[in-house]
Amino acid sequence: MQTVRPRRLRLLFALFAVASLVLAGRLAYWQTFGRSELLARATDQVRSDLVVAATRGVIRDRNGAILATTVELRSLYAIPKRIPDRTLAARQLGVLLGRDPGPILAAFDSDREWMYVQRWLPEETARAIDALGIPGLGFLNEPKRLYPNDSIGAAVLGFVNDNGNGINGIEGFYDAILRGTDGRLVVERDPANRDLAVGLREAVAPRNGADLTLTIDLVAQTAAERELTSAMKKEHASSGSIIVLDPTDGSVRAIASAPTYDPSAVRLADPESLRDRAIAWPYEPGSTLKAMTIAAAINEHLVRPGDSYNDVGYAIVGGRKLNNALGKAYGPTTVTQILERSLNAGAAWVGQKLGAQRLVDYFSLFGFGRPTGIDLAGEVSGTVRPLAEWYPVDVGTASFGQGMSVTPLQLAVAYGALANGGTLYRPYVVAARRDADGEHRTAPVAVTHVVTPDTAATLRGMLLTTVDNGIAHNAAIPGFSVAGKTGTSQIASPDGSYVEDLYVSSFAGMFPADDPKYVVLVVLEKPDSRLLGTLTATDVFKGVAQDILRYARIQPDRRP
Amino acid sequence: MRTAHAQKARRTVSRAGVASPGRHAQRAVRAASWDLRIFAFAITAIVFCFALALVYVSQTTALSVAGYDAQKLAAQRDEVRRQNSLLEVQSARLDSPARIAADATRLGMVRARFVPVIPAQPLIAKR
Repeated sequence: MQTVRPRRLRLLFALFAVASLVLAGRLAYWQTFGRSELLARATDQVRSDLVVAATRGVIRDRNGAILATTVELRSLYAIPKRIPDRTLAARQLGVLLGRDPGPILAAFDSDREWMYVQRWLPEETARAIDALGIPGLGFLNEPKRLYPNDSIGAAVLGFVNDNGNGINGIEGFYDAILRGTDGRLVVERDPANRDLAVGLREAVAPRNGADLTLTIDLVAQTAAERELTSAMKKEHASSGSIIVLDPTDGSVRAIASAPTYDPSAVRLADPESLRDRAIAWPYEPGSTLKAMTIAAAINEHLVRPGDSYNDVGYAIVGGRKLNNALGKAYGPTTVTQILERSLNAGAAWVGQKLGAQRLVDYFSLFGFGRPTGIDLAGEVSGTVRPLAEWYPVDVGTASFGQGMSVTPLQLAVAYGALANGGTLYRPYVVAARRDADGEHRTAPVAVTHVVTPDTAATLRGMLLTTVDNGIAHNAAIPGFSVAGKTGTSQIASPDGSYVEDLYVSSFAGMFPADDPKYVVLVVLEKPDSRLLGTLTATDVFKGVAQDILRYARIQPDRRP
Repeated sequence: MRTAHAQKARRTVSRAGVASPGRHAQRAVRAASWDLRIFAFAITAIVFCFALALVYVSQTTALSVAGYDAQKLAAQRDEVRRQNSLLEVQSARLDSPARIAADATRLGMVRARFVPVIPAQPLIAKR
């Protein structure tokens, strides 16, 4: 029998011993120093770390109608290599998506491994495509902001861009509150990408955005937009805006701005249409401001409604001649008639009695020259020059609303102060927000008391006469008392002069005149009717007011 | 184990001079009995461990299956919620005053230019 030499045995033993040592060493390394790396690699294969997106809050009108909401819509994607017959698939998709099949086929034939075919499909279209059962096509749910009323209320709502950021209006101003806080889910998954019930699971729940209830009334908003659109078409006006305000607390019932846009299709919108003209378009208010000048003078006991002056068709202020519209002279004229006939000379006469300092002070009290503080993104302040920059003539021109600029909202809020007895409220659009902690209601904010209740009542009476007997007669509504004032102002050009034969027509009104529930301001830029544009503005006012009166079931206070 | 018992028996025999065959047999039987007991205990432990492992695996599997079922239900719940949201949007679209006005116009209706309101006070006074 042949025996193995001990030397060979020792060598074999040594080999095994070395191999064992190497293996043991390697094992020891992976179990100690390399442990975390191995663990990380293993965990990465099964672990998924996902951001759980918070749902953006819903925006509703004061009666609960949805104005904006976020819904997950299905987006169609394709893995072209897995599509057996790309030509047929492109043709079928073209029919269902209403698109030319050519570009779809070209995209399929490109080298891309994964591609979106179309994002945010209507549900019916998604169902129809799903029913085709084409291999290589799939759906992803993606959140999409929807506005069920299309362009109605676009100016006040704003929009959400593709990155989920709120822009303009409510969406912009309340973006942080509406968007909420994203959550996180760390979980182990199986090869089929399903969550494993056992194993690692860490979850931080998302905090959904707060729901907002607005002061906006969808019916009033729709009426305002309808009337504005109609007037814009009729007058070929370049822009316009309407504000409906509740003067008792400063809550805004409607804000319409034209041109407008569809917040669901902002890419197609003209950039200029994205500007909310009610808060971001300063203009010279013209004769609508005479009410503030006269209110200031009455409040300072400098004039009374029955006081008179001799109207010669113009006033000389600071060495400059300030004419009435069309240069017409009226002879002996009362302060009430200044409003009834909208006399520039009369307003300048009252302004001179008041003096530049008090005029500027009252403009400030009425909120001109600074933002109103409304809870909408993009508000501008308008311009009231500091007194140091005034020329002597400015006390005359400012009295009838020239040489300064205001936003439509500022003017509406100022009329609101006359309507409610003299209190200037900060306008607001969000009535309440509801989040996980419950409902938080917005309290109205009285900024200041501008004039006494007696002065405000006197002004309402004078403005009522202006509608009943004066220049704003077209604004009268059968069965209801309406107080208001028209305004026609020139448009300043960049060189400081006024543009020839182009005007801004406006009307500010309130109803019922004794105890106004609503203030409505209508502004039309560059109407075809030129000086007669105020007629269209008063028509628009009537259209909106009649809808609101009917809808709000306000009893007539007069015989029709 | 058996060898240890045999050595112990041999030592006992050498001390006593002569060993009793009955006692030796008894001890051998007792030792064999202990061996059997230990064997049975080991088998039982193995079977118990196996059963425990089986129960653990079956429970874990059941849990995983339940987890998959829960996921399916959660997906169904999410889909129902999504459909509900879509229906809410559709309802809001249908309720939109602008849509109603547009449909009314399409049907040939026109807006009433004046809606008469009859004040209640004179009627009440007549009664």
